[in-house]
Amino acid sequence: MVSGLRRIGLIAGRELRADARHPDGAVAAMTFMAALVLLESLIVGPQVARDTLVAPALYWIALLFAAIVVTTRSFDRELEDDALDGVLAMPGGADALYGGKLVSLAATLGLVAVVGGVVEMALLDLAVALPGHLALAVVIGTAALPAVVVLDVALTVRLRARAVLVPILALPVLLPQLVAATNAVAAALAGDAVASLAWSGLLVAIALVYATLGLTIAGTAIE
Amino acid sequence: MTTTAFPHVLSVRIRPLLGLASVATALIATAMALIWAPPDAVQGQVQRVMYVHVPSAWTAYLAFIVVFLASVGWLWTKRPAFDAIAVASAEIGVLFTALALVAGSIWAKPTWGVWWTWEPRLITTAVMFVMYVGYLLLRSLSSDLEGRATRAAVIGIVAVVNVPIVHLSVTWMDALHQLPSVLRPGGPALDDRMLATLIAGVVAFTVLYAWLMVARTALERARQERVLRARDA
Repeated sequence: MVSGLRRIGLIAGRELRADARHPDGAVAAMTFMAALVLLESLIVGPQVARDTLVAPALYWIALLFAAIVVTTRSFDRELEDDALDGVLAMPGGADALYGGKLVSLAATLGLVAVVGGVVEMALLDLAVALPGHLALAVVIGTAALPAVVVLDVALTVRLRARAVLVPILALPVLLPQLVAATNAVAAALAGDAVASLAWSGLLVAIALVYATLGLTIAGTAIE
Repeated sequence: MTTTAFPHVLSVRIRPLLGLASVATALIATAMALIWAPPDAVQGQVQRVMYVHVPSAWTAYLAFIVVFLASVGWLWTKRPAFDAIAVASAEIGVLFTALALVAGSIWAKPTWGVWWTWEPRLITTAVMFVMYVGYLLLRSLSSDLEGRATRAAVIGIVAVVNVPIVHLSVTWMDALHQLPSVLRPGGPALDDRMLATLIAGVVAFTVLYAWLMVARTALERARQERVLRARDA
């Protein structure tokens, strides 16, 4: 157990160091998210985009696609450096790779979520009634995203059609998570503390189910 | 990966019998649905769509549970027969989910006034459909037998969570769709002749599923044999 956690820590540390040296994945995800928020708001019009339910929906859809971008880039780096086979050859390597990616991508996505959130709030001039509840919902929602995305990217890592397959496989599974995250943020924007906490609680439950499922089958999926 | 020929008894003896049984049960269920069962007191004749819609949905549930069991079987034993069963059942499940959606849409237009509405049962069924189409896409875009089977098995295990969600969505959330007709607390809420007709429909669709499964699994096993022979040559 301890050595398993240590291996996950080692992989997560290695990922974060690689991100710090070459932040191309995180920068691409931030740019992608900012562009998506801007375009989505333009397409539906700023009046509609400013709605307390529409703004969070646009935010989470953009963050989801940014998560796919940053996760795909992370696995591409493994393939470019021929590091993937080396990690998988270690005892418990596949589980450590999944756990490590989960931790490091949650941290990287946290940064992307903050930048994207600031951009959206500035562009749409959003008023936040409950900043603490908003922060809680964003932290939980962001930490919950990689569990499914990492699993789907790992499943398709050696396939040429990965760009098509990952969104098709991930989006239907993430639907309950996106609904809960959108409603948690919407309630925080509107000043409904009880609803925000209830949706955040549901988000925690969904995230735990997905992370447990991911940790159970990731070894098989990645090998 | 080694494989053995599809059981002779299934492909030669049971398959034609299943075909005959499928035609016979389909004829009986059709006659019951169109002639014997009474029209609904409120909806009238259009309610007879239920005898296609509900059995299609039941068969889709069954098919996806079989995909789950076969996926576990593949990961556990690595026997290619399980992978053949999984792909056969997934294809049939997608077919019957599409049929349930189309039949439901035809039923919805005269009763709800729309072909489609954003309602929990419809949305969850559409999500289940997309997820299993993704499963089939993942398979079709992978070339190596073992890798494809393993990747598909992971999705086959994850996606089965949709089955209880679809079934229970009408009890969990405010729904326009009616509550389950048969599998509901307090027992079935149907006229006796309607219930008997519905059961006949479910039996007919289940026998049809079994027939299609035997045929499609045999085809997949033959395909696996061919690929392995080409690889060994």
